[in-house]
Amino acid sequence: MASAQVDVPGNPTSTGTALLETATAAIQGFHPINKIHQHLCAFHFYGDDMTRQVEAHHFCSHQNEEMRQCLIYDGEELGAKLIGVEYLISEALFLALPDEEKPLWHSHEYEVKSGLLFMPRVPAAVQRKEMEQVSKTYGKTYHFWQVDRGDHLPLGLPQLMMAFTQDGQLRQDLATDVEKRYGVSFEEEREMRKHMTGPDQGIHPLANGAGKGQRLELREVDISLVA
Amino acid sequence: MASSDEIPAADAAGRPTPPGNPMSVGRTVIDKGAEMMQSLKPVRQFKQHLCSFALYGHDLSRQIETHHYCARINQDFLQCAVYNSDESRAQLIGVEYIISDDLFKKLPLDEQKLWHSHAYEVKSGLLASPHVPDMLERRELDNLAKSYGKFWCTWQVDRGDSLPLGAPALMMSPQGVNPGMVRPDLLKKRDDKCGISSEQLEASRVEIEGVNTAGTNADYWMKHGKGFALDVVETMMKLRTPFP
Repeated sequence: MASAQVDVPGNPTSTGTALLETATAAIQGFHPINKIHQHLCAFHFYGDDMTRQVEAHHFCSHQNEEMRQCLIYDGEELGAKLIGVEYLISEALFLALPDEEKPLWHSHEYEVKSGLLFMPRVPAAVQRKEMEQVSKTYGKTYHFWQVDRGDHLPLGLPQLMMAFTQDGQLRQDLATDVEKRYGVSFEEEREMRKHMTGPDQGIHPLANGAGKGQRLELREVDISLVA
Repeated sequence: MASSDEIPAADAAGRPTPPGNPMSVGRTVIDKGAEMMQSLKPVRQFKQHLCSFALYGHDLSRQIETHHYCARINQDFLQCAVYNSDESRAQLIGVEYIISDDLFKKLPLDEQKLWHSHAYEVKSGLLASPHVPDMLERRELDNLAKSYGKFWCTWQVDRGDSLPLGAPALMMSPQGVNPGMVRPDLLKKRDDKCGISSEQLEASRVEIEGVNTAGTNADYWMKHGKGFALDVVETMMKLRTPFP
């Protein structure tokens, strides 16, 4: 698991700091965080490089029935790194996006139907209804921390991430590792999810990078220093 | 090409932010059941709420109130989920990483350009820890005043986007010189809403020291008059099998 392989440099948390944070955790409000209620495990690959693949743990809250916002970690243990964000939207919301925006969003149909996307520790029967819905959604994911290349800190530019769309794309070793750790079988779950369908109007041709690679580039702009 | 500094094509104005039907009762019940089975450990690590302001790195006149929920990895490193308010319906607008001076000074100069210092916003009382007496927070404020942040904003709610559009925007921190100074009306609004007096905070923080950023590329715009925007660019994808 990626989380165990990369150590963040720095001194251990001091006792004083730990005590303070116990206090602040108790005194302050954490309303937006408390709304996070769901853990989804899936895989992403880099928008310009399918050979670089990452296990991605999503912790999501619903803004409403049609929109979810998720924090992405490289694992689910203490010390897991916050590596990105993903937003999930319904097909209706996706279709209303400007055409220029659509390529930045990926479909979830294949991930769900193949069993690759699942809710850890939730019995298959209980999560099936949820998966039926996710299958029809589109997601937009940025990663800020390239743990897969061994970065000890979040370096460089954000990376637009994509989701798998076909058999054979995901590395077998990554899949097997997840199956073992969570005691799941993607093959079995694929059977159980055969009835599920993707977006009602089919996967939009502009989604998934419009079929092309996508990357982010930095550009300098002038800032006027005069008040 | 989608860019962080481009106004997106007509986004349905007047829609609720974000658009979409409210949660049905049936779904809420399933969610509760499933939620009880999952541990959600990483999100239980958020232990500090910080309220402050950030400026768009490509246009410092665009300023937003931010609510950071921070989780500590070690004494030198915090990872924060950033929202546009402290209410439960707040939008997740980005992620900020906060590192100590020690870690920052070891970063390559090119990487440093993407980071901003925190001393000014701590000393000026712009940065606040809601509900925590400043005395209790004092040691942490000392640390924060010597820290640096890297903040990517993925949802430009302030320009009216009802969904997260375009490329992420690099954010910068408020500074004591224009165009880095926070507009008084924005500050007053935050202070009134959160029951804070940034003037009082500033007075009580007079002894807090920042760090010397000379020779570094933190707050790049201040020294070089240049900000940064991001563009999404089409490229050849390196494949292992056909796509899509």
